Amino acid sequence: MTSPTPHLRRSADGQLFVETPEAEIPVSVRPCFPWTDPQRHVSLRDAEGVEVALVEDPAALAPESAAALRTALAEAGFLLEITRIESVEKRFELRDWSVETRQGPRRFQTPLDLHVHPLADGGHLIRDITGDLYLLRPADRYDPRTRKLLWTFVE
Amino acid sequence: MPTTSPFSPPTGFDPKLSPLDRDRALIRGFLDQPDRLPDEVRRLAEAEWDGDPVQLYALADLTAELTFTSSWILLGPRRVAVATPDPEAPQGWRIESFDRETIGEVTESRGLSANVLRIRRTDDGDTLATVRYTSRQRPAMGNLIYLLQERTALPSTAEGADETYAAAMTSEIKDAQATVAGHQMAVVWRLIGYLKPYRAKVALGIVAGLLMTLVSLAPPWLTGALIDKVLRPFEAGTLAHREAWRMSAWILAGVLGAYALRTVLAWIRMRIMAFIGEWVARDLRNDLYEHLQRLSISFFSKRQTGSIITRVSSDTDRLWDFVAFGMVEVSLSAFMVVGLGAILLWMDWRLGLLVIVPVPFLLWYIRRCGRIIHGIFLRGWRKWADLTGVLADTIPGIRVVKAFHQEDHEKARFKERNRIVVDEFNRVHGAWTNFQPIQLLLMHLVAVAVWTAAVWRMLGGMEGAAPTLTTGEFVAFLLYLGMFFMPIEVFSRMTWMLNRSVSSAHRVFEILDTEPASRIPARGIRLEPVKGRVAFENVRFTYDGVRPVLKGISFVAEPGQMIGLVGPSGSGKTTLMNLIARFYDPTDGSITIDGTPLADLDVGHYRRQLGMVMQDPFLFHGTILDNLRYGLPEATPGQIIEAARAASAHDFICRLPHAYETIVGERGHTLSGGERQRIAIARAILHDPRILLLDEATSSVDTETERSIQNALARLVQGRTTIAIAHRLSTVTRADLILVLKEGRIVETGRHDDLMAIEDGVYRNLYRMQSELHQMYAV
Repeated sequence: MTSPTPHLRRSADGQLFVETPEAEIPVSVRPCFPWTDPQRHVSLRDAEGVEVALVEDPAALAPESAAALRTALAEAGFLLEITRIESVEKRFELRDWSVETRQGPRRFQTPLDLHVHPLADGGHLIRDITGDLYLLRPADRYDPRTRKLLWTFVE
Repeated sequence: MPTTSPFSPPTGFDPKLSPLDRDRALIRGFLDQPDRLPDEVRRLAEAEWDGDPVQLYALADLTAELTFTSSWILLGPRRVAVATPDPEAPQGWRIESFDRETIGEVTESRGLSANVLRIRRTDDGDTLATVRYTSRQRPAMGNLIYLLQERTALPSTAEGADETYAAAMTSEIKDAQATVAGHQMAVVWRLIGYLKPYRAKVALGIVAGLLMTLVSLAPPWLTGALIDKVLRPFEAGTLAHREAWRMSAWILAGVLGAYALRTVLAWIRMRIMAFIGEWVARDLRNDLYEHLQRLSISFFSKRQTGSIITRVSSDTDRLWDFVAFGMVEVSLSAFMVVGLGAILLWMDWRLGLLVIVPVPFLLWYIRRCGRIIHGIFLRGWRKWADLTGVLADTIPGIRVVKAFHQEDHEKARFKERNRIVVDEFNRVHGAWTNFQPIQLLLMHLVAVAVWTAAVWRMLGGMEGAAPTLTTGEFVAFLLYLGMFFMPIEVFSRMTWMLNRSVSSAHRVFEILDTEPASRIPARGIRLEPVKGRVAFENVRFTYDGVRPVLKGISFVAEPGQMIGLVGPSGSGKTTLMNLIARFYDPTDGSITIDGTPLADLDVGHYRRQLGMVMQDPFLFHGTILDNLRYGLPEATPGQIIEAARAASAHDFICRLPHAYETIVGERGHTLSGGERQRIAIARAILHDPRILLLDEATSSVDTETERSIQNALARLVQGRTTIAIAHRLSTVTRADLILVLKEGRIVETGRHDDLMAIEDGVYRNLYRMQSELHQMYAV
């Protein structure tokens, strides 16, 4: 179902609801193009994964609905953003990364044949073996040591 | 508890550690997060729960603002609690508990890296708890969510909370990492253990190597003697021509003898160690393959086939390399460095020091350059993987490329990546071609320093004092100097080889250390003959220790009966079949065959009485004939044709270019799904099993093929106990008993007519739906 202008509300515990005259449906957000156009074409899905509405452009929503959607999108699109790479070591079939993120220090592991996802702005995304995603900004925004490690392992 | 060191792989390969301690070591070594629930949190929660134990827990590592934290969510038999660090709380933790009975809804919202668990109350839908966590925590959190959503207690067989948490947190690492890492030297020692059966030959190889090194020292010494004792006295006129010839002949004979002996010793060493390396690799491969055959299906379902094959093939090959050359080279090189260093110092301590003092710097330089080249090579290797990725994409999908006329696009893509690869590898070549001349220059500088000092002393300094070094000593020294630098180069190569070999050894030992999941009795009972009575009594099964897949299954299949299994996907049908085949053991309850517990039977003998026709039958690479008589190698051609006829396979086989001797399977002739199934049925008929397991044998074939398979199956099932999974319910209408499974439970049972009589029954609805579909598409 596609609703042209659904009414959205975010509860105190962060749950997003689509309000219809009959009921409030709890939904999760799923950007259709999470890397190239994360803020538009957002699919709103109920607990069973069925699409309740597709928001092509949040700007078309009422201001409070748009604000609720933006907050939900920020949470759903949360990534661990790397601000500095301390070390990258090979540890028996895994590459072990020690990094500084915006959220704090973090250790994670990737397979040796790491597949990075290049982003349009020159940055990259790395997925670790548990499924967490790490955002790397374009190399020129990092310190020389991080740049050197990026050159070897990512770019 | 072992501690970690930045200089060694810090995880628990030590076989003395318990599985829990190994998992905890992995968490500490890799994840930098608590390896268990803090004691204080457990104590506080259990006190608040009137002594109820914490049965399961998970870490919630994100705050509402999406910064890192270490909150915990805990599950007890009656309550749930969320523990949040709070410096202002009395014990540093804020514990918020609520009764499980009050829980109405449990939902998990998954984001890219942040996930949210919301627990709401039954009556008013108010929030009881909201926790956020990264994907890393999902395995442990998933166990907890399952129990909350299913409103179920932990299975009685569940492991403790600490074990479940540790196993969940390390599952991804263990799956991704080929091995549970350990200390390099422990692995090397274990590998050396494989040399034990060949110790006499190894000793001979090492002695030959040592003697070879010692003999190598003779020619330089003889050269010095030739100059000092023969040539210079002869030039000075102090040695007669005849005597000079006599002495020269002895020295030349000595040089010839040394080189000949060295050649023989090198031959002995290389031959023995190459053979031993091959024997060790053979023993490892045999051990590995034998062990693989004992491992349960669950092991193979967790590992990629390619990874297992690599361990048996290229990993053992790398170990040959190490045993045959690496171990001896390292020990001989160490011997040579120490021995030659001592000789150089003994010959002339001042010149010796000139050579030995720069060695640490040289080693440092070699190591540093090695690391730089390794980094550049890693990048080149990534670009190489990008290039091969194009091949992996386009070769299997070549039809799509051509259909969409994308050949030019693909050519351009390949060309561009090929260009990048060349650029990167030229960078590698640029680096090593810079590095090696500098390394040589450093060695030459040492040599020039030795020359300068030596010439100074041979000429008696600027004042022309008495020489303190003879020409012969100098030449001998130079020859030893050349030999001294060789083992240093070997060391630089060996570090790389050692790392590579230890990694391979780990991957091999990991499989050898995996315990088979089923407890196979040493002397199992052999039922002769097997009548085929299969009985399940309250059988429960879980793959992960938390989520039950079968929940109290009970039924009896009498000998010769056909049992149909029906139900949606995920209802537990295939798991039930796997339990009958004893690929897994039930978590609870019992399975008996002719009244004897399945666990007590001789598995090999029992499986010979078992036939399986799976949904997507596997054919080995080989002829159809080989595949048909896989389970009965002694089958005669007449029996084989008879079985193929019974399976409605004979006609299509005869139409193939080489009839029964057509090569099929991987890299062979391509057979359709229906043809493969009929070969599998013929194989099962030939095998003549007492118990037959059929899995969706006609799920993906056309109507005509289905009919011929049905006919084949009707002949196959006669006189055997048959357990059949059927998505097309028409295949089980004649079954003696139909079990309808849903979410791991039998929800309906009876014959076709009985089940059709149940108003709004699951089976009746499924049957009606399939009939309608069949009518729609049969027009």
